[in-house]
Amino acid sequence: MSGVLSLISRTKLYWGLIAIFLLGVLSSPVSSKGNNIFLSYGNLLDVLRQVSITGLIATGMTAVIITGGIDLSVGSLMAICTVVCAMLLTVEGDTTAALFSLPMAGIVALAIGFSIVRFVIVNLEKSKSEEQSGRDVALDRTRGLVIPLAAGAVLAGLLLWFLLPQVPTKFGVLGVLIVAPSVGLCFGAINGLLIVGGRLQPFIVTLAMMVTALGIARLTAGQNNAVLPVYTGSNAVAEFDNLRSLVFGIIPAPGLFFLAAIVLYAAVLRLTPFGRYVYAIGGNEEAARLSGIPTGKVKVATYAISGLLAGIAAVLYVAQYRQGKPDAGAGLELDAIAAVVIGGTSLMGGRGSMAGTFCGVLIFGLLSNILQLHNINSNLQLVLKGLIIVGTVLVQERNAADLMNFLRLPARRPAQKGASVERRRQEETRTLEET
Amino acid sequence: MKRRHILMLGAAVLASTTILAGNAQAQDKKWKIGFSQCTTIEPWRAQFNKDIIAEAAKHPEVELIITDGEDKTEKQVADVENLIRQEVDAILISPKESAGLTGVVQQAIDAKIPVFVLDRNVETDQYTQFIGGDNKLIGRAAGEYVVEIMGGAGKASGNLVEIWGGMGTQASHDRHDGFHEFTDKEPGIKNLLDQQSGDWKQDQAYNIMANALKNNEDIDVVYGHNDPMAYGAYLAAKDVGREKDIKFIGIDALPGEGVTWVKNGELTATFLYATPGAEGLRQAVSFLNGGKVEKTITLPTEKVTSENAEAILKEKGM
Repeated sequence: MSGVLSLISRTKLYWGLIAIFLLGVLSSPVSSKGNNIFLSYGNLLDVLRQVSITGLIATGMTAVIITGGIDLSVGSLMAICTVVCAMLLTVEGDTTAALFSLPMAGIVALAIGFSIVRFVIVNLEKSKSEEQSGRDVALDRTRGLVIPLAAGAVLAGLLLWFLLPQVPTKFGVLGVLIVAPSVGLCFGAINGLLIVGGRLQPFIVTLAMMVTALGIARLTAGQNNAVLPVYTGSNAVAEFDNLRSLVFGIIPAPGLFFLAAIVLYAAVLRLTPFGRYVYAIGGNEEAARLSGIPTGKVKVATYAISGLLAGIAAVLYVAQYRQGKPDAGAGLELDAIAAVVIGGTSLMGGRGSMAGTFCGVLIFGLLSNILQLHNINSNLQLVLKGLIIVGTVLVQERNAADLMNFLRLPARRPAQKGASVERRRQEETRTLEET
Repeated sequence: MKRRHILMLGAAVLASTTILAGNAQAQDKKWKIGFSQCTTIEPWRAQFNKDIIAEAAKHPEVELIITDGEDKTEKQVADVENLIRQEVDAILISPKESAGLTGVVQQAIDAKIPVFVLDRNVETDQYTQFIGGDNKLIGRAAGEYVVEIMGGAGKASGNLVEIWGGMGTQASHDRHDGFHEFTDKEPGIKNLLDQQSGDWKQDQAYNIMANALKNNEDIDVVYGHNDPMAYGAYLAAKDVGREKDIKFIGIDALPGEGVTWVKNGELTATFLYATPGAEGLRQAVSFLNGGKVEKTITLPTEKVTSENAEAILKEKGM
């Protein structure tokens, strides 16, 4: 019995998702042909398409939050990237967007080439001296710096060789799919470098970036045409439509990107040392640093990836809504944080999972869909969403009982104040013992 | 404790199901019409919704569903997708912007739902009908009136302050262009400001006017691209005691704003930028009942002065 209960409590996240789903199925209005509208394939695809942009952002946000940080700039970063993407797609010649996005793409290629080659060299070196299992491998200057740098330069050169000829004409799909995420990655990395290098609060740094990036997005878009429309086939390449349509007639392209991103990132968090480091930093950053984890690099990477995903989301946004504009991602960071928190990730860091975020994103998406299908007043919808956030987190954190006790009259309050904290501590020790 | 949670969750699910189910059992009506509004925060949009609801009340066979895009393209697209899934008989949409909503309007048309586009157009012409005001036409009406109060065609003279809505919006350019078709013909009319934008807002117009009052001893007419800006200019003039020397002209004529200000004697005149709410629903119903509708309907404007302001307010129930 207790086994069943603990199973239920461990999987309660999925139960929330299932409950919302059942609620949708049971209460769904029925179409004229007698079909359940909520369950119809089209409707479920709508939901997946609608959540995919928030989902991509939430994916990047999850890792940032697990390290104990926060990224408020994602909405604005997405805005910049939509403007860059739309401008590259529709305007020929040296635009403001091309002016800063291409160098950024070059820098990203350089950095990626450098790190990959260096990583390979370090590991080769390690396997050569196997008896010595230490983390540090000394590399001479040629192999440690020159060769990786050369490789990076070659990669950057190749990329620019591919991209530069597209400037006088208009960019193709692959071009924007490389450039826009690179821009996001660069800005994200700047966030990370400021936080690590300047030892600043992530909240402040990303808040500043949120404002700055919004300004850059507006400057790039220009005052008079704040919205850059993208009409595939007339002012942009027709293939760009592929990013909106169904892939193989089964799944919408944005949904595919979201699923791929979250599965990949979940695997990285679960299976690689990098993932372990992310959790370790969130648990206790100082301890992690003292035990030799490169905390700075890992943190910069999480913010950079968050920016990267914002850039990918931006390209999908442009495809889906046929436009890039500076106010594209307004408020998106809060939606993403809400989804992450509903998914059980702790804002204090160290605790959370991508599976949780996936559920959180879907719970939010399904809920909006259900409320919409019932034509609930949109102001009331906001209230309900707020309640759902608080409610789910209460259940998540198993603090509902504490709140009940707190609300009771002091005289009738049981003496077990903070019981859930105590219980969690016990459970944690138990799981530690089990493993 | 855990069991209690599950029970609570179960109870919550049950309760909400019954609420939702109760809500879903709307009366059996002949036509289900969905209206996707882009935002409801602006006063003009609120009036728009009021107009369409009032019109729907006159058609008992119509069930009207109104969605609020919350000023976000994403939300409005999701709203329309939802209306398509609900298989409404017709969709009325007032898009937040042309580019962002074109795709989903096309989707509705592909699903064989007649679409009525209101106020702002989309980049396709396969919709059933477009209904909107014509800002140039309204600008012309305002320009003609201003020439008249400044001395009449050919001999009009005086100093004019124009407060723009926004340099980046078509509506503002149209209201400017139409207006100047008349005032530019008069050599006696002097434009004091060069393209000052108040971003459609009362407070910004106040600041622009306050500066204009400092720089110019003599101002005869203020033309605001909407009523709140004309009113903001009025307040600025009032604060320096010069409101009696100046005539304030606005556009939009919402009952709660422009018309009331005209009735109070604060604005001299305002020109109606009609909401397509009532007309849109009428056209949709007539189309569903088998009637033929025109591809485009341009709503006429109406001059509101102290003579008719009170009557209009009474008609709107205020």
